[in-house]
Amino acid sequence: MVIDAHAHVSWPGGTSSEETSWALDQAQIDAGDALGIDVFVCSCLAPRPSTPESFRAANDRMLAAIQRWPGRVWGYCYVNPGYSREALAEIERCLAHDDVVGVKLYNEYFFDDPVLRPVIEKCIELDVPILEHQGRCTDPLPGQPYISDAGHMARVAREYPEAKLIVGHIGGGGDWEWVIKATAEAPTLYADTSGSVVDEGLIEAAVARIGADRLLFACDGSHSAGVGKLRGARISEADRQAIASGNFLRLLGRSVA
Amino acid sequence: MRLIDTNAYLGHWAARRLRHNTPEGLLRLMDRAGIEQAWVSSASAIMYRNCHAGNEELHEALTGAAHQGRLIPFAVISPAYAGWERDLRWCVDTMGARGLRLYPAYHRYRLSDACCHELMQAAAELKLVVSVPQRVEDYRQRHWLIDAPDVGLNELAALVRSHPDTRFLVSNALGVSGSDFVTRRGDMPDNYWVDICRPDVVYGKDAIALIEALGPERIVFGSGIPFNYPEPAVVRMEVLQAQGYDVAAIGSGNARALLS
Repeated sequence: MVIDAHAHVSWPGGTSSEETSWALDQAQIDAGDALGIDVFVCSCLAPRPSTPESFRAANDRMLAAIQRWPGRVWGYCYVNPGYSREALAEIERCLAHDDVVGVKLYNEYFFDDPVLRPVIEKCIELDVPILEHQGRCTDPLPGQPYISDAGHMARVAREYPEAKLIVGHIGGGGDWEWVIKATAEAPTLYADTSGSVVDEGLIEAAVARIGADRLLFACDGSHSAGVGKLRGARISEADRQAIASGNFLRLLGRSVA
Repeated sequence: MRLIDTNAYLGHWAARRLRHNTPEGLLRLMDRAGIEQAWVSSASAIMYRNCHAGNEELHEALTGAAHQGRLIPFAVISPAYAGWERDLRWCVDTMGARGLRLYPAYHRYRLSDACCHELMQAAAELKLVVSVPQRVEDYRQRHWLIDAPDVGLNELAALVRSHPDTRFLVSNALGVSGSDFVTRRGDMPDNYWVDICRPDVVYGKDAIALIEALGPERIVFGSGIPFNYPEPAVVRMEVLQAQGYDVAAIGSGNARALLS
């Protein structure tokens, strides 16, 4: 079984039509059919910074995608933690659905900002993971002044060792060697392999430093890149299977899909 | 499926340790991915001030290796550097170069510079393929001291238009479908090919758009080894094959014809 632990469905409030945005999501399912990806764990992102109204609308779309492709799409509930009360209520609303398995946070705040603490503590209470949009870029990213890196996440992981935290896209552009080393400094952090970067040795370096049991296969829209780099990694078949789905199922406390 | 990799390297990269960067290592990587031949240039030459020293290293590496003609040398030439004409001649006569790779951002010249046009004329006369990578690595992970923006595709298209007798390979590129290579296709001579190192065949389907716009005869296989895993590009070929595209041409036939 192969689970893409970092995927998205289209935001319906953009310039594209309803039909076009569903067609793009169908293209992702088609990509899964072509490449052997069984499940996409998807968030829907409203334009940032999101408001309670927009993140609720985004999550409605995520829930609709789960309904449209049962068994192929699981969900992350996306919230802006700056709206603490509304965010906690939204997490409760979405996590009531069986196939919503975690929370997605984007770049509204650094991950170690105290404003995130209620969301982190809620996810600990619900025993669900948080996937964080993450990157360690050489230069500031335009429009992303508060993008977190694995160092922000490691600080929180040390403070909340019971939290299930996923460092997003180590291959998402940026200094992945730095991200791997920073992730390894917090023994409870998980990391996903997604992103368009297919630098040879990336997966092996992550396995060596972080450990195969804390890596999650993912694509974040770069599907052949994601599948190709996991296939190309010189690791044991047991490790490859663990990364492909076993670790994520264990993180969720699920034995099968 | 037979594969000729039009986008491969030997040598070192200044910002990151490369593995499989010797002839023996690259051949092992090629074997595991089913790549029968690779067009290789010196990765070290990208950062050397005198990039020709990288060509000399490449020649030494290939001369001492048992590769049975599987590694085809490409020269890295900077037309802004003293003596490039003599270096180019050495690369052809001594190293057996079948093509060039250009790194204008690293070697500080513009594709529109007169010296670059002179090099393109020389390439046509010597029947060399001119490969222009849009990037060496993702700019977001650039080394602090390396500030080399991606090659502008429309600037490259203008160079291609100016030299209809020179054959170009647009390599390691994304966004070709939205550039003059496609949008001004009617103004472009049929003298350029594009590799599928980065455009995907699923989801956004950039590679499919390119095949539809340019025709499968203009698309070649390229993986970027050993900077990259070869498998992502191989996976794309497998998907194309399953969808009925002419993978014999894209995988190797077009590249073979380009060098013949």
